[in-house]
Amino acid sequence: MRRYLIKRAGISVMTMLGIVIVVFFIVRVLPGDAAAVRAGPYATAEKIAQIRAKYGLDRPLWEQFVDYLAGVARGDFGVSVRTDQPVLGELLSRLPASLELAVYSVLVATVIGVPFGIVAAARQGTWVDVVARVFAILGSSMALFWLGLLMIYFFFFRLGWFPGPVDRLAVGTPPPPTVTGFYTIDGALAGQWEVVAMAFRFLALPVLTLGFVLAAPILKMVRSSVIETLASDYVRTARAMGVSPRTVLFVDGFRNALLPVTTTIGIVFGYMLGGNIIVEYLFSWPGVGRYAYEAIQTNDLEALQGFVIMVGILYVALNVVIDLGYALIDPRIRLGRKVTA
Amino acid sequence: MTSLALMGLLPPGIELRAGSIRLEGRELTPDLAEGRTPREVTMIFQHPRGALNPTMRVGRQVARVLRINQGLGASEAKEVAVDLLSRVGIPGAERVARAYPHQLSGGMCQRVMIAMALGCRPKVLIADEPTTALDVTIQAQIFDLIRDLVAETSCGVVFITHDLAAVAEMCDRVVVLYGGQVMEQASTVDLFERPSHPYTRYLLESVEREVDPHIEEKDVDFGLPGCRFAHRCSEVFDRCVEFPPQFDVGDGHTSACFRHAEENSVAS
Amino acid sequence: MSQSVSWELPSSAEPGRLARWSAELRKRPLLAVGVALLFAYLVLAVVGPAVTVDPLRTDPANQLLPPSAAHPFGTDEFGRDVFARAVAAARLDLWIGLVIAVVSMVVGSVIGVVAGYWGGRVDEVIMRLTDVLLAFPGFVLALILVAAMGDSVPNVIVAVSVSFLPHFIRLTRAEALQQREMEYVDGARLAGNPPWRVAFRHVMPNSLGPAAVQATLVAGWAILTVAGLAFLGVGIRPPTPEWGVMVAEGANDVITGEWWTALFPGGMIVLAVMAFHFVGDELGGGRV
Repeated sequence: MRRYLIKRAGISVMTMLGIVIVVFFIVRVLPGDAAAVRAGPYATAEKIAQIRAKYGLDRPLWEQFVDYLAGVARGDFGVSVRTDQPVLGELLSRLPASLELAVYSVLVATVIGVPFGIVAAARQGTWVDVVARVFAILGSSMALFWLGLLMIYFFFFRLGWFPGPVDRLAVGTPPPPTVTGFYTIDGALAGQWEVVAMAFRFLALPVLTLGFVLAAPILKMVRSSVIETLASDYVRTARAMGVSPRTVLFVDGFRNALLPVTTTIGIVFGYMLGGNIIVEYLFSWPGVGRYAYEAIQTNDLEALQGFVIMVGILYVALNVVIDLGYALIDPRIRLGRKVTA
Repeated sequence: MTSLALMGLLPPGIELRAGSIRLEGRELTPDLAEGRTPREVTMIFQHPRGALNPTMRVGRQVARVLRINQGLGASEAKEVAVDLLSRVGIPGAERVARAYPHQLSGGMCQRVMIAMALGCRPKVLIADEPTTALDVTIQAQIFDLIRDLVAETSCGVVFITHDLAAVAEMCDRVVVLYGGQVMEQASTVDLFERPSHPYTRYLLESVEREVDPHIEEKDVDFGLPGCRFAHRCSEVFDRCVEFPPQFDVGDGHTSACFRHAEENSVAS
Repeated sequence: MSQSVSWELPSSAEPGRLARWSAELRKRPLLAVGVALLFAYLVLAVVGPAVTVDPLRTDPANQLLPPSAAHPFGTDEFGRDVFARAVAAARLDLWIGLVIAVVSMVVGSVIGVVAGYWGGRVDEVIMRLTDVLLAFPGFVLALILVAAMGDSVPNVIVAVSVSFLPHFIRLTRAEALQQREMEYVDGARLAGNPPWRVAFRHVMPNSLGPAAVQATLVAGWAILTVAGLAFLGVGIRPPTPEWGVMVAEGANDVITGEWWTALFPGGMIVLAVMAFHFVGDELGGGRV
């Protein structure tokens, strides 16, 4: 187990280093004149020169790279061209909003995908299975921005059940005192129940939009791995010994199917870190995705680069967590080789 | 396949059309097909390690069977499970009960599976090639174990195998199957002394010396009527396209080959 | 796994290719739906722009008209015909989607075969680079690439192709690893073929199966990615008729109830992606 962890950590560090190098290459080398891109399409030659000096873009490339690497290692992601603020600080202040959205969306996706997948696997070939399959294809073909607009049109404009796409809370409502940064939790901790209710109402549409799309891969994975375990020798044994089909499905089938499903849920969560630029923009959600959107609009490559590095590093870290979770579920990894030969 | 059908474990898409199983004069088919407990008939499989749930401690797997089939409470089932594990010859049963299948050897896993089967208190135990995946020395131990347990619990065993040595050692009566058809039935001694069906003779010869080069290996064609062995049989003749009934060849020994009808008619 | 086994009896007359195709389609309704949809899109993309009104012509007198016989999808805030724009966009989007699928499949498969066939150090380097690319969600990778290179159709194609590369590299590499052990490869080598020839003439064609299926799905996802980027104002810019651009332009209309400017083009994206998905899913045996 320990050797496994060390090896895993080593690979992760290498990948993170690779991320930093790739992003550096994309942002500094690819554009040709990095200063011109930063200055925007209407900048004067003077302005470009000024930016070149300010960001050290006139120095040799390798010097820039070493500086940049040292900066990232210290947690210095550079300064935003647009706001003149350190990028990392701005990202961190917006991260809780994104995480709250991500957590609830993945939760909804899991609540839809897992039971639906199990039932589809148990009733293979019936109409439930067909509905599940069409649902899965619909989910993986869905354009987030279209579904989001559909939700806004029906549930906000037509029915008025949920608030419009403005923010995390209604204008003028002060956020609850910050503990976790999740308004739904902080509100509850402060006993401000009307804030909690409002936070949930503002979360509803973006969460439903993402949850629907994210449920598709989870559903597919649950279905195929439950089918696989149900066809396994040990399920046959359990049935021969009189264990009921229901118990076999939910205890033997599900527990073993959990392994690939955990991975999928993790990947889905990782995908959320980047996929929610669209949803955060659409619903004016003040998270890191919205920050990235604003950076794009203003050619703020420093900020965009910070966002991409953060997404990459979170993604790698997340994969480590998934692997640990995997190890906890699967005794074959947790306990290593055999006791008796 | 027959025994899977009997256990109600057919893979999806295949269903039971006909036939019945009787034990002590009672019809068992619906009970077994619907997986009702307690199990009067249970089954152990080949590849014992794959046949145990990899994410559940073996003690729990045995205990679960006890709770279901004997209605024991959780803690009682746990104790009885350890008892059972030591009864099937597992040293340090306490410790092994807490292990996962991947930590045990194949022989150990087969013992665990036998313990689970015993937990059902079966009247009949079906053993589907229980030793094919094991070392020869372990095979012998498992045979001994099954024999002892049969003597102890007076439970019947249906032993499915390709291994004629195992048949000779373990069985009282033999049913020879080919492609799902019963070829021959006899007591073990009688079968080895007087193999009557061409397939049985071929089978016995194949152990002793090299196989007749005229009999080539072919897949069984399930689509054709008649004797399934016909297309490989060196004694095939025109009647073999019909479905062969069992011909009595004496002493409760039957054989499904039209050659017997020919011989009889010549003799009489 | 769940597929039923069918026994095909030899028929007296060998049916023509067309007959076999139509029989296949009748047996698999999802495939038929997918093929029919793709065909409809193709017709729309090829013939459509010749029949519709000019997608760029503005008409201040007819702003934000709801769908009617004259304007099946209504008009947008500049009075442009949404249907004409959606049809013109079909041509652009389908073309971009297919180009991306082909480019990423070809490049990815070559790299994958190189990694799988040669192995060793080359493989190690390629796989580590692939890991790094996979550490970004594909959409984010494409986004920063376009942001750095600048907005243009070729840049979008390059960026989105790169973001789909890792899938193809992994698929073909795994396949090439298996093919490498096959006897026909030894045969080709013994016959005196140089390594590159064995790799690309013998191993590669036999390693492309899964990649080709994947490419069908990627064509759909590429359209989704391109439209998503355009929705954020990256890559393809207004007033170009492109589905993502149109949804972005119409997004604010939805909040005020003029749903047709955004929901029609968006629906066309989803339907197109689904069509690719039906086909890819069926070709992949329903396991994708």
